[in-house]
Amino acid sequence: MEIVFEYILRGVMEVFFTAEGAFDWLPIAMVFGGLMTGIAIGATPGLNGPFAMALSLPILIWIFGVNDEALLPILGFLIGIMKGATVGGAVPAVLFNTPGTPDAYLTTLDGHPMTKNGQGPKALKVAHFSSVCGDTVSDLVLFVAAPVLAVLIESILDLPEKGALIILSLSFMAAVAGSSPMKGFIVGVLGMLLALVGSTLSGNGPRMTFGIVELGNGLPLTAAILGVLIIGEVFIGLEEEIRKKVRKVRSTLDTALGDNTFGWPERRKLLPRIGVSALIGTAIGALPGIGTTLAATLGYDVARRFSKTPEKFGTGLPEGVAATEAANSAVSGANLIPVMSLGIPGNFAAVFIILAVESVGEFTLGPHVFRFTEIKFIEDYGTIINDDLVIAFAMFTLMMLANIMNWTVGGAFLRSLGVLVKVPKSVMLPVVLLITLTAVYAQDGGFIGVWVLLIFGLIGYALKRLDVSILPFVIGFLLSPRLEEYIRGGYSASGGDGLFLLKSPLAVVFIAASILILVLANRRRKIPEEA
Amino acid sequence: MRLGGKEKREALNPWDIGFGAALLVFALWALFFWFPADIPTGFFFINSVGREEPGDAFFPIILASLLAGLSLIQMILSWRNRRSGDEAGVTGGITLSNLKFLALFLTVVGVGLGLMYWLGPVTVAVLNAAGLLDGTYRNFSDTVPYKYLGYVAGGSVMTLALIVWAEGRVRPVAVMIVIAVLVVAILLFDVALRNVLLPPNADF
Repeated sequence: MEIVFEYILRGVMEVFFTAEGAFDWLPIAMVFGGLMTGIAIGATPGLNGPFAMALSLPILIWIFGVNDEALLPILGFLIGIMKGATVGGAVPAVLFNTPGTPDAYLTTLDGHPMTKNGQGPKALKVAHFSSVCGDTVSDLVLFVAAPVLAVLIESILDLPEKGALIILSLSFMAAVAGSSPMKGFIVGVLGMLLALVGSTLSGNGPRMTFGIVELGNGLPLTAAILGVLIIGEVFIGLEEEIRKKVRKVRSTLDTALGDNTFGWPERRKLLPRIGVSALIGTAIGALPGIGTTLAATLGYDVARRFSKTPEKFGTGLPEGVAATEAANSAVSGANLIPVMSLGIPGNFAAVFIILAVESVGEFTLGPHVFRFTEIKFIEDYGTIINDDLVIAFAMFTLMMLANIMNWTVGGAFLRSLGVLVKVPKSVMLPVVLLITLTAVYAQDGGFIGVWVLLIFGLIGYALKRLDVSILPFVIGFLLSPRLEEYIRGGYSASGGDGLFLLKSPLAVVFIAASILILVLANRRRKIPEEA
Repeated sequence: MRLGGKEKREALNPWDIGFGAALLVFALWALFFWFPADIPTGFFFINSVGREEPGDAFFPIILASLLAGLSLIQMILSWRNRRSGDEAGVTGGITLSNLKFLALFLTVVGVGLGLMYWLGPVTVAVLNAAGLLDGTYRNFSDTVPYKYLGYVAGGSVMTLALIVWAEGRVRPVAVMIVIAVLVVAILLFDVALRNVLLPPNADF
């Protein structure tokens, strides 16, 4: 137990002090900057947390570089955005009945009626309080669950099992996201295939580049992921704006303000509701790919079912806002459980945490991180320690720091952002396109990044129009190099046995589970339509 | 005309089966034409100690074969559903209207990027011809105003055209926003960060 506390202490010190022992304000400032940016981005229609993370990452890398010291400031900013954007999403939903994300729609059900009743500021206070509570519960579960899960995984998984586990998580994501599990899995495999363009593990020259020299180092990762996630969305959003061409008349806060106090007695009364929703969100968040919408829906539904006054839900009840916001915010911390313990992202925000870790320093995510190796000091050599574990605890510290800031200043900042909701999508989306093009060009040092961005934007557009989830595509694209390493390594280690994946009982279980999940999900999709 | 092509399927959905068919064709093309021509080492190769190792085509071939198999299953499922009269529910599609939008959109973006790429070099060439400058664009790609010409012109044309298209009118506030964004981008990517270049300067 002593060694656990030693690692935790070193992780905390890593955030607050430099190697020379001086107080380090930078990670704290970065978390604060990221949190404020995230809240502002979340409150702006047409923008979301993953977009801000994607755009910030190249800028942060230019500012701080890619050495080990750069990792914590960069992660601090990204974690701040991730948490801030989750909270900020409540502003347009509550004040203007314009949810920026599907889960924020549920916040409008009671949040906007509260605004119409003159309780807009109170609705934002309830949303903020519930959101931060949910987020904190979720983070605490992450801190306990990720190391335990990682230690368990590390002791039982070898290369074939790890490879099979990636396939299992891909099929799971395909099954839960989008309208067709089979199509989701197919685009996951397509994403994996496209990720192989360029560099090779053997070092025998580039592959699959069509002779384009600039692709010799592989497709620019950020450009490709931004293309599918952001540019595809810009295409869709602009097309819809162009078709509408109707100026929206937004409701305003002209309503006479009523009682907007939200004291501790009322907060205490809401806590059981928030607790249940936070647990629902955490449980759903720990499963990769399911996302916040289901958590918010379940949180709201459970709160209504167990309420003494279910008929009042939808009329401007603080319980409705609290149940939704606590559930969807609890997803974000728990979503990092598969990231920290397996190195497998469960949602888009996690994708950018992984991208940052892979681009900066030598820290890598995965089960090996949580090895509590003995800390030894050897004279003339230095300290032998698992540095990755120290960084992991430093990451947890950054998350708690973001929560504390969210508790203290986040609420006031959130309530001051109503003005951002007035920025129309018709202006925001072209501006997003220009900023993304510029950032990608600057990062990749040429138009090659811009072409990749646009081509992947078209892929994102087509997938969206065909009702196929883009999450498996992105996850497949990101995990492909690692899967290739496992598959090639596993094959070589087995002495060239073509059936090496089927020689491990656990790998067979994972592969069988992948197939079963896809088959069951395909059947399940049909049942509602047949009924 | 439907936006996004969502529709309830009653018979064979061309998008359902077409999705599988397109990816099957892609996978087969990759297996039989792309990979043989574009991967230097094969499925296996002999390493420096004479041992057979998986080559650089090993994993791509596995993935492309898997993609072909899954695409075929997708096509069979689509066909089976049609034969048994099952409804596969809401499915998407790409309409002619979507394609028209994409063509116009990409034209606007193409014009903007073209301006971004060519305006600086063409201006320098014209001034060269007029005897007002001496040197190629490369010599002036870090000199104001040449280094900003393409970015500002291309960026503002592209962004404003899209805004005007989406809103159906020109608003002064939109022009101001675009100018502000361009100024911030220049300050950030060119002034604050010295080791990166704005478009198109890294290409010259």
